[in-house]
Amino acid sequence: MTIDFVLSRRLEATEPPPVRDGVRLLVASPSGLTHARFSQLGLFLSPGDLVVVNTSGTLAAAVDGDRAGVPVEVHFSAQLDDGDWVVEVRPAGASTGPVTDLRPCEVITLDGGAALTVGRPHPAGQARLWRARPLIDGGVSLFLTRHGRPIRYSYVPRSWPLPEYQTVFAREPGSAEMPSAGRPFTGQVVTDLVARGVALAPITLHAGVSSQEAGEPPQPERFRVPEATARLVNATRQAGGRVIAVGTTVTRALESAAAPDGSVSAGHGWTDLVLGQARPARAVTGLVTGWHAPGASHLALLAAVAGTGLVERAYAEAVRAGYRWHEFGDSCLLLP
Amino acid sequence: MTSTSQIASTCQPTALVTGAGRGLGLALARALLAGGWSVVTDARRAGHLTAALPGAVVVPGDVTDHAHRDALASAVRGIGRLDLLVNNASDLGPSPLPRLADVPLAAARRVYEVNVLAPLALTQLFLPLLRASRGTVMNISSDAAVEAYEGWGAYGSSKAALDQLTAVLAAEEPEVAVYAVDPGDMRTEMHQAAFPGEDISDRPGPESVVPALLRLIATRPPGGRVRAADLTGSTVR
Repeated sequence: MTIDFVLSRRLEATEPPPVRDGVRLLVASPSGLTHARFSQLGLFLSPGDLVVVNTSGTLAAAVDGDRAGVPVEVHFSAQLDDGDWVVEVRPAGASTGPVTDLRPCEVITLDGGAALTVGRPHPAGQARLWRARPLIDGGVSLFLTRHGRPIRYSYVPRSWPLPEYQTVFAREPGSAEMPSAGRPFTGQVVTDLVARGVALAPITLHAGVSSQEAGEPPQPERFRVPEATARLVNATRQAGGRVIAVGTTVTRALESAAAPDGSVSAGHGWTDLVLGQARPARAVTGLVTGWHAPGASHLALLAAVAGTGLVERAYAEAVRAGYRWHEFGDSCLLLP
Repeated sequence: MTSTSQIASTCQPTALVTGAGRGLGLALARALLAGGWSVVTDARRAGHLTAALPGAVVVPGDVTDHAHRDALASAVRGIGRLDLLVNNASDLGPSPLPRLADVPLAAARRVYEVNVLAPLALTQLFLPLLRASRGTVMNISSDAAVEAYEGWGAYGSSKAALDQLTAVLAAEEPEVAVYAVDPGDMRTEMHQAAFPGEDISDRPGPESVVPALLRLIATRPPGGRVRAADLTGSTVR
C-alpha cells in the first residue's frame, strides 16, 4: 500500500493560522469530496456520533545540548517506566535528521548543569531514538518548563510560544509534539457538536516525536482509555453511530484497546500497535486528521481506517486544491 | 533522577591524563587502562606511547597549544564522556635549577604556561562533561608548592598557584571532586633533571604512588590538597 504524492513547499503551513477553526476542512466519504471550513465540522456529523479526543498536553520538549563542544538539540520524546527518557539528538540549527554518531555511555550536557547519559537505541532496530538517563535536579518536567521550547521542524521558520502547540483538550502534559489533529477545535466548535447531539469522550496518548521516516517503525507510546470512554464507544457502535477519532493518536489508543469484534475495553500502558493493511481498524469508523507528509506511517494508519482508495482521493484533491500540510495546516474528515 | 536505570552502571569511565609519555602519567594511565577505563593521553614526545599504552587514545602535542587542546576535546568527544581529568604534564624549568635571581623570564613563563594555565584551560574545556559525570579533576602538585627549596622558585610557585586553583575550583564546583596531589619524590626523568648527576635510585618508582591516586579517585573524599604519602599511610617518600 503506498499513498504517494509530492509535497511542494507551497503546501506547507509555516505558521499558525489566524483563527484555529478557520482552517479548511476536506470531507471525504464514498459519496464524494466536500470543501468546507473546520468551524462547519458539525454539519458532517450526526446525532449519536462520538468524537474521541486526546487530552495529552504538549511539552516544551526541545532543549539545547552540548556534546563535548559540539552544540546539539535534544528532543525529549517519551518517559519510560524506569525514569529514563527516549530522546532524539539532532545537530543544532536547521537540521533535517538526527546526529549519526551517537554512542552508548556518551554524556550530553544541558543548560543549568543538567545532563543526559546516552544508553541504547530504543526501540532496537533503528538509530534515531535512544534511551537516555537524565541527570536533572528537580526532574525533566520542571527542566523542560524552564529550558525547553516546542519541537519545531524546518518548515516552520520561526519559533512560537507553547500555547500555540496546545489543543483545547490538553490537560495532562506528556506529548513531545502536539496531537495536532485536535488543534482546529475551539470551544465554539465543541459547543456546536454538543448542541447537535454529537458526543465527545477523552483518551490520553502521549505522542512521541514525529520525525521517523519511511522504514522506521512507529515508536511505542503511553496511552490510557478510560472506562467511561470505552463504555461510550461501545454504546455508540451498538446504536449504529460512528466513532470518530481525532487524529492518529486517538486511533492508536482506541485500537490498542479494541477486541477483534471492535468492542473497546478500558486500558492503559504502552502500545506498539501498527495499523495498516495487516491490521485494519476495528473500532474507529471515522477520522479527523491533519495532512501528513508522504511516506509517513500515519498514511498507512489512515488507510487502515478509511481504505486506501478514499485516502488517495482525499490526498489528490488536497494537493490539487492547495490545502496546507503539517501541524498548523488544514484538516480532513474521513468518513468511509 | 532515577537509580534504577542500567545505563550508568554499564558505562566504562573515561580519563584524560596529560603528560603520559613517562613517569607518573604513564604509570597512572597504565593502571587506569588495566582497571577498565577508557584513557585519552597526550605527550610532547608520543612516538612510543601507542606501544606503551595499548588501548589508549594518544594525541601527540603540547598542552599549552590551543589546537592541541582542541584535538584532546575531539578525542574525548569520540568517546563521548569524561570522568577524570589528570593535569599531570609539568615543566620543571631549566636544569640545573637556577636561583630566582637568575631564572630567565621566558623559562619562568613557560613553567607557568604548562603548570598553571594549561590545566586551567583544560579544566574550563571539560568542566561541563566532568560536572555531568560527577567526575574528578586531579592536579599533580609538589611539595615544592609549600616548601621553600632553593632553585625551585619558578616551579614551586607555579605549583602553589595550581594548588590555589584547585582549592578555589573545589569551592566553586560542588559536583566535581577536585584535588591537588603531591606525589612525593619519585625516580623520574623530571626528578633527575632537578638533581643532575646525582644518584636518585633510592627514590621509589612512580608506580608506587598509583594505588594512592586510584584510591583517591574511588573514595572521593572532600577536595583540596592531599599528599600521596598520607593516602597510603606507607613509605611513599
